[in-house]
Amino acid sequence: MIFESHLLSMVVYAFFVSLVLALIRRPDNKARLRYGLFLFAAMTAGALAFGWFMFLFIKR
Amino acid sequence: MKIKGIVAMFLGWAVPGLGHAVQKKYVRALIFFVSIFAMIGLGLAMGGKIYPVYLEKPRTLLEVFINLFKKENPLTILAFFADLGNGLFYGLARAIGWGAGQLERATFEFGTAYIAGAGLLNFLVALDAYDIGAGKKS
Repeated sequence: MIFESHLLSMVVYAFFVSLVLALIRRPDNKARLRYGLFLFAAMTAGALAFGWFMFLFIKR
Repeated sequence: MKIKGIVAMFLGWAVPGLGHAVQKKYVRALIFFVSIFAMIGLGLAMGGKIYPVYLEKPRTLLEVFINLFKKENPLTILAFFADLGNGLFYGLARAIGWGAGQLERATFEFGTAYIAGAGLLNFLVALDAYDIGAGKKS
């Protein structure tokens, strides 16, 4: 079985989505790189932050 | 609407990146093709589900529409429309029997999200191909 780590699954997903959206939404390579990195960082950091937020509600 | 743009959009929906390839945007076409098929492949390998639409012998167009929502979970219609974005691959997968979904696997949800995400991205790629064909962007 592959990708049993949800973190790795999420990072790879964020990579592909960032790559495609950066190519679609920005006209030149420099802007694409910046936008792609921003999207990737936002998705990864956002998911991690939300994951830790949900940790507050864990049932012990 | 320009014919060239519409043709590019349809080709882009049918095969990810083809709408860009026919307009000589080869690098972008290759990246779209590889990215979207990688997502689909990973989704299937993770046991993700490709959602079908059930049509129970509809007699009118209204019955077709109503049947779309006659399921245990009507919200799966949204997943169906997302999966439909994968173009010809959707029909191929349904015909072969891929994407039945392996609910018992821990990776099922992520796999399903990969396949649906690929479909949604391909809708955007097809619209981008239309914009290029219509001369709205380069």
